Amino acid sequence: MYRTHVSIIADILSTAKQYSYEGYENGATVTHLIRKANVPHQRLGSMVSHLMQSGLLYEDSTKYRISDKGIMFLQAYHEFKNFAESFGLKV
Amino acid sequence: MNLVGLAISAFIGRFAYAGYSAIASPNLLRLTFAFASIGIGFALIAGGLFIETRDLSRGVITAGLGAQAVGYLFIAFSHSIKTFDFAPPRYFAFIPLAITPFIIPGNSIEHLVRSISFILLVYVSIETMASHVQNRRTSTLMIGSGLGLLALAELMAWYNFVYPGLFFHVAIAVKVGGFGLMFVPFSKFGLTSGMPGGSLNKVGGV
Repeated sequence: MYRTHVSIIADILSTAKQYSYEGYENGATVTHLIRKANVPHQRLGSMVSHLMQSGLLYEDSTKYRISDKGIMFLQAYHEFKNFAESFGLKV
Repeated sequence: MNLVGLAISAFIGRFAYAGYSAIASPNLLRLTFAFASIGIGFALIAGGLFIETRDLSRGVITAGLGAQAVGYLFIAFSHSIKTFDFAPPRYFAFIPLAITPFIIPGNSIEHLVRSISFILLVYVSIETMASHVQNRRTSTLMIGSGLGLLALAELMAWYNFVYPGLFFHVAIAVKVGGFGLMFVPFSKFGLTSGMPGGSLNKVGGV
């Protein structure tokens, strides 16, 4: 199934959120992100560095954690995803 | 009624723009252009009704209908670059084409524009209903039905050409009813979501 760029970003952030708060306090490793977001290592590297520049993700001793801004982005993503899906569209 | 349509279009368009600002989705940008164009169309049609010069009034109303047709085109374009997990029956694609010879008149730009709007709305309504079959969302069903009502309104407005004065007000009522149906699922997101200062405004812009 085709995934848009923003939906892959949401998958990366969701994984980072899961490993930052939900029972895994240390953050997500690159392997976690590759496995859950299902993207090649090279592409993941460029996306993660872009997310870090945007302040949605930050690195904490070789592991990645979601920032408060990243959590707000995920909330917005889910709300606007519902909105677009009401029109039968993908975000 | 046109002003009600304008208000609903403005709200949905503003929300779609807030979504584009926050998550930079191309489809939300297309929805923004679509509802901005539809809103401008409603404003022109409402303005045209107050112009006393008959030809000028007709021209402004036709321009409004044209703006709305462009809006429907943007929504249709968003659907045309989408892929389904299942294939809708192929004959769905032929429904608008099959009825085109019966509805495109050659003697009026206004009715030609209405015909184009009708075809686009039938297409968008079918696509949205096909999405409903896939995701079973009530909101998708309501928006698909709303788009279907808009198509019916365009057909009735064209029928007004055959029997002048009989269907005009009913067509406008059905059109606003269609927008109202589209507004119901949208209203659950909250009228202030994505407004300046709101928590969803310019979160990421990735």
